[in-house]
Amino acid sequence: MPHHLLGVPGSYPLVVALWLLPLGGAIICWAFGPRLRTLAGWLASGLVGASFVLAALSWSAATQTAAGALGASQALGSWLPGFDFGLLLDPLSLIWTFIITGVGFLIVFYSTGYMEGDRAYARFFAYMSFFVFAMLTLVLSDNWVGLLVGWGLVGLASYFLIGFWFERPSAVAAARKAFVINVVGDAGMMFAIFLIVANVHSIGFGDLFASAGGLSSTLLFWICATLFIGAIAKSAQVPLHTWLPDAMEGPTPVSALIHAATMVTAGVYLVARSAPLWDHNAEARLLVGAVGGITALVGAILGTAQWDIKRILAYSTMSQIGYMIMAVGVGAYEGGIALFFTHAFFKAQLFLGAGLVIHALNNEQDVRRMGGLWKKMPFAFWVMLTAVLAITGVPGFSGFFSKDEVIYGDLQFGHPVLFAISALTAGITAYYMFRMLFIAFFGEYRGDVDHAHAPGWKMNVPVAVLVAPSVAIGAALLSGGDNSPWTRFFASQFGREVAAIESHRPPAISEGFTSGIVFALVLIGFAIAWWRYASAGAQSKAVERLERETRAMPQVLVHLFYVDDAIQLLVVRPAQRLGAFFGALFDPHVIDGAVRDVAFWARWLGALVRSFQTGLLRAYALILVFGATCFIVYYAFAAGALR
Amino acid sequence: MALLPITILLPLVVGALLYALPSFDSAQDKLAGRLSRAIGTLAAIATFAMLVVERDAQWSVRWLARPFTAAFHFGTTPVAFWIALMLALCTACAIATTRVARTRDFVALLLMLEGTMLGLFLARDLLVFALFWDLMLLPVFFGLLNWGEHPTTAWRYFIYNFAGGLTLLLATAAFGVIYGSTDVIGRAGTPLIGAWAPWIFAGFVFAFLVKTPVWPLHTWMPPTYSGLPPPMVAVVSAVQSKAGLYGLLAIVLPLLPHYLRQYALPLMVLAAVSLIYGALVALVQNDAKRVVAYSSLSHLGLIVVAIASMNPLALKGALVYIIAHGLFSAALFMVLGFVEEREETRSLLRLGGLGWKNPRLAGALCIAALAALGLPGLAGFVGELVILIGVYQAGYTWPVVVALIAIILASAYLIRLYQDVMNGPEVEDLPVRADLSWVEGLAVAPILAALVALGVDPAPLLRL
Amino acid sequence: MAVSIDHYVGLAAVIFFIGVIGVIVRRNPLIMLMSIELMFNAANLLFIAFARVWLHNAGHVFAFLVITVAAAEAAIGLAIIVTTFGPERYVDVDDVRALHG
Repeated sequence: MPHHLLGVPGSYPLVVALWLLPLGGAIICWAFGPRLRTLAGWLASGLVGASFVLAALSWSAATQTAAGALGASQALGSWLPGFDFGLLLDPLSLIWTFIITGVGFLIVFYSTGYMEGDRAYARFFAYMSFFVFAMLTLVLSDNWVGLLVGWGLVGLASYFLIGFWFERPSAVAAARKAFVINVVGDAGMMFAIFLIVANVHSIGFGDLFASAGGLSSTLLFWICATLFIGAIAKSAQVPLHTWLPDAMEGPTPVSALIHAATMVTAGVYLVARSAPLWDHNAEARLLVGAVGGITALVGAILGTAQWDIKRILAYSTMSQIGYMIMAVGVGAYEGGIALFFTHAFFKAQLFLGAGLVIHALNNEQDVRRMGGLWKKMPFAFWVMLTAVLAITGVPGFSGFFSKDEVIYGDLQFGHPVLFAISALTAGITAYYMFRMLFIAFFGEYRGDVDHAHAPGWKMNVPVAVLVAPSVAIGAALLSGGDNSPWTRFFASQFGREVAAIESHRPPAISEGFTSGIVFALVLIGFAIAWWRYASAGAQSKAVERLERETRAMPQVLVHLFYVDDAIQLLVVRPAQRLGAFFGALFDPHVIDGAVRDVAFWARWLGALVRSFQTGLLRAYALILVFGATCFIVYYAFAAGALR
Repeated sequence: MALLPITILLPLVVGALLYALPSFDSAQDKLAGRLSRAIGTLAAIATFAMLVVERDAQWSVRWLARPFTAAFHFGTTPVAFWIALMLALCTACAIATTRVARTRDFVALLLMLEGTMLGLFLARDLLVFALFWDLMLLPVFFGLLNWGEHPTTAWRYFIYNFAGGLTLLLATAAFGVIYGSTDVIGRAGTPLIGAWAPWIFAGFVFAFLVKTPVWPLHTWMPPTYSGLPPPMVAVVSAVQSKAGLYGLLAIVLPLLPHYLRQYALPLMVLAAVSLIYGALVALVQNDAKRVVAYSSLSHLGLIVVAIASMNPLALKGALVYIIAHGLFSAALFMVLGFVEEREETRSLLRLGGLGWKNPRLAGALCIAALAALGLPGLAGFVGELVILIGVYQAGYTWPVVVALIAIILASAYLIRLYQDVMNGPEVEDLPVRADLSWVEGLAVAPILAALVALGVDPAPLLRL
Repeated sequence: MAVSIDHYVGLAAVIFFIGVIGVIVRRNPLIMLMSIELMFNAANLLFIAFARVWLHNAGHVFAFLVITVAAAEAAIGLAIIVTTFGPERYVDVDDVRALHG
């Protein structure tokens, strides 16, 4: 395979092609809009699919390169010395590229059915293609500024798609919130870039990693911490997570692609990408691990108190990403990325399955008004069931292997507290996922849609395709411990650092034992969910029981731990008050008041002088004579003429 | 070469000649308006072409020999060249979309505004600079007086800026007497020091800070920007507000660097206050044009921070941001002008839901607003990033943090601006008018294209 | 007794002060104009007298200049009087106060 473009040595043209194809789709869909009709959907999914094929073709280039080089690269241009831009395809970015284009293709294809008849059909596919392009920019960049550009652009795509149905005020507000919180993250990352460029004089990843060992630990901590602000905002970590549940205002395929499978995992990518920095700084590690662990737990707890099917899934996403962040934080990069990889499949499957239900029930999202759906929609039920089994980590399913690696990673890298948190979270996860499944699919139907209309093949096929990896890919890639295909795949990426940290001390408990503990907790969670929602007693008076549960929900959960209220009270309100004060009082009264004071004194002085101007000609003449006399007398005496 | 003075004179002369078009009754007036719009657009495009052709031209005629030497010396410095190019572009686009009463007179004023500002930016002599400084206030003053909402706004604009012009003239005269020559812009001369130099510095800086504006000298600006008709405010906010920054870059920085360094901290404090103050006030304004006006206060504060830091990288970024701000503020004011023209209001409380029926208008406003909030990939981002890297390198951390907070606030108020106009349910009682016409689209497109192009590859600006 | 320069100076002073007092005291603009003419002529007298003393022509030149200016002044002054001359056919300068502050 030729590894150069236009004579640039070491360049790899396929990367450019797979990067730009979705952008082409976005521009065409945007420019020609409604005139394309259904062609827009075919075009967008075709181009994303072509991108996926190119990514597959790039497999060998990304993994089998000369020693020392990370992967296939392609220089693009330069702003200034030190500001060089290029694309980089190495195992890490390849995995993300696979998910973005592969799962992306399936979801875009699904959307051609889901969005049928929408009045902005072409615009939707323009935004989706643009998102894929932006996300590829994020993961393929070989430098911090390119990463930040992708970071900002995925935020924009997410904004557009959350607010896609912009006649709904709630969607508009959710989009605004998501955008502003993401800009908070961008600002944090910008600060990290200032620190990096001021000290390394280059924006390239390689230049920073090469000199990471020589930087002071305080500086490294601040670089890591400010980078991590970006990850907190983008990956919905505590305390900047509140935009993610609101983001469910967007169409369901958007939630599946952006707010579950890809964009929200960008924080995981960021930490994994800058692994050499974290490897040199234990404090930053602890920060990331702790935030991830807390988020996993908080997300899971909030997930138990939701009634909207998409919000349940949103909180579960938040919790799972907390797991991933925790894993890459403590140093278990392979585990974190494995969870990202498997999560992309089963969470996309969950959302698309929920999309089947929502679509069939005329946009009903409240699980209290579902029930008994397994009879009405058996296909959707089996899809959801396999995905739930995968996400809860039932042995054999893909989630089992990845989650196991994450949870065991905590112990492996010496964080028993995080281990306890994540094991507990696994139990809660089982509870709320089965809770959703039981309420929505078991018992009797409680809604008022008489005739659930069946989704077409365009929606069913992608979901069916997703079932295979979410069930089996874990066993295929992740089994085998340190010798699994997965670990070997990342050997060149993280091998060195992991070896360095693994020399810590081997944990006293074996992996099999922790799996047993976690599985026991999962079973407990399942049992509670069964007892509360699926047992014969629970089924008998389901409507009343759910109503009672809604009323008895603790206030702290209803208010989602008061995070939104706190942000509103501490940040938004004061800013608005201050702005109103400056605009309505300070500007017109203090600043302009001072200016008016100057004018007042000028007028006062004028009034004083005016009183001499009588307008009497003879008076002027008298004054003139008087003045002249004074002059003459003065000069006569001063000059001594009359002496 | 003689093309340079022609470039400056062309808009002035064409503008004056436009008054010869007959407009005695309404039919004639309509025809004269159309004709002058076409002629004016062509004249502005012609100046653009001439600037491109005459990229490195010089032209000089002796003026004074005593008490100091001065000359009618025009020429392009790299910074001036780009600003002048942007000026010609914005003027052409603004004239093409002019739709006000007495179009003929308005276009004539716009052309004179372009001519006087071209004179200002291309001047290589301080005295000529000061002369054009005062001249460029007049078209805006008459614009405010005849087309503005309230005559006091015109007087406020004029008194504030003329006060600045006065200190500029005094400083120029003192500078000339001490230095012996005012033919100094863009020339590697020795910096001025001595007993009078701080006062000269103060005179220059006061004029430039009023014009930019910087807190607390800004209160003339919001009413001026909201009062002027859209085409003129596009040019004024895009280019005239850069006169002060250009003065800081081309006059104060090379000629009085010692004092700039000495007073960097107070300047930076004022600029940082502008950054936050403008952003906070923009957050709660309900008049769309005032949101953009206060956002200008905030954004231009960033450039003053860059200049006060005196870091080479920050200064490169300042140039990028000067051009970027010019382009996106022109685009914002033009598009908001289109909105106001169609919906007969610009209150964010009244507007809403225009996006469905006006997708092209929404797209234009969206790109302009995104460039203004510093979306990565557009020109504003490059400017912000490079400026802040430079400022941080120069050892100032707190202004960087303040600027980042202002960037976050900018995203909040600009997204609010866009959403309150274009999103939400459609408002029943708003008039329904046609989407962007092709002339309007063609006028906004080059500005938006330039924003994207400079965002992807700002190298031509950064490598100066 | 020869007429010395002192006599000329004394006479000019007397004429000048008559003019000054006329301007200050009288309210009829015609009389005021005449008083101004008196002051001019006092100055002229001095010019001529000193031209003779110093044997220099500049004095004559200035005298002519003053006469010319006086003529112009009288023309403008009379024009102003005509415009302020109202239907009551009487002018008092104290009534013309349009420029009071």
